[in-house]
Amino acid sequence: MNEGLVVFVRSIIGFFSLLIFTRIIGKEQISQLTFFDYVLGISIGSIAATLTTDLASRAWPHWVGLLTWAILGYLMELITIRWRYAAKYLEGEPTIVIMNGKIMERALKSLKYRVSDILALLRNQGVFDVREVDFAIIEPNGQISILKKPEYQTVINKDMNIQVPPSGISTELIYDGIIIEENLRQLNKNRTWLMDQLRKQKIGDISEVFLATLNPAGDLYIDKYDDQITKVTDIGDYKGPY
Amino acid sequence: MRKFLVIAIPILTLILFILIMLSGNHLKKSLVENNNIPDQIQVIEGYINKEEWQEVSKETKKLEEIWQKIVVIVQFSSERNEINAFTINLARLRGAIRAKDKSSALIELNEAYEHWKDLGK
Repeated sequence: MNEGLVVFVRSIIGFFSLLIFTRIIGKEQISQLTFFDYVLGISIGSIAATLTTDLASRAWPHWVGLLTWAILGYLMELITIRWRYAAKYLEGEPTIVIMNGKIMERALKSLKYRVSDILALLRNQGVFDVREVDFAIIEPNGQISILKKPEYQTVINKDMNIQVPPSGISTELIYDGIIIEENLRQLNKNRTWLMDQLRKQKIGDISEVFLATLNPAGDLYIDKYDDQITKVTDIGDYKGPY
Repeated sequence: MRKFLVIAIPILTLILFILIMLSGNHLKKSLVENNNIPDQIQVIEGYINKEEWQEVSKETKKLEEIWQKIVVIVQFSSERNEINAFTINLARLRGAIRAKDKSSALIELNEAYEHWKDLGK
């Protein structure tokens, strides 16, 4: 018995079965997964791994396990789409954790979230001061949605009746120290122009640049490898081991 | 056509996988013409009962050759434990033949037959 060859063949079976099943199960992105979807993914992956390397048992029972988990996952998805009552039970519902600027401790406790988790989620949303928040809701996928207090909400151009041209999407000109010639050509620019721009920012060589992008308004963004930041702000909320 | 392929290719792939995984039970029987394991085991058992050790030894070698051919094919659909157990039975059988120990030889042969029955099931 050639164990290496058997594992190779089983790997092919496991890999492509997993690929096909996950395509059938759904197109939800990782960020939209509920906790159960996450566990489901881990379990299915674990079964596929056992199918591949556990030569003490046949591949077939593992494959049946894989198929059953995939079918159940698919059924759960169908049920939650077609039956809202079940969806509420199976996928959970949004929970308000900050209401009128007040942290709902009981809600946090029931969600098993610490305040530091909420603060981290707020920072992910660009909120570094909890006083700015009027409402915060933990969605079933664990992400936070926030509504800022009116005084902290950003003024938008519409509020000021300012007409602005569409900003468009920036194009990468340099990535990882290498010029992307195709993008330069598309923007009707050339190397000489780019080098002139770099020299204006006191950059002598392209290899110093990590990323350079140009937006349709003609503004160039340049990020160098050497960031020259000496004082780094510590955002730790508790004195841990380091 | 494109949509057909998108559906057909995964289905055919899964069917192929199922066939590979379930093939062991059939391949172990039909693979080698006139050389199947249960018949060979019966032949050996007959010679052991008559205590014709020369013949037992010859037929056991034949059984090992058949086994080596079958293992190559059924390894993808069978459990390693059954394959290893059968191989060990053959080794013990060789020892029993050398010692001309009728009871041990019959024990090993019968156990080997049980492992063969469970192979790929």
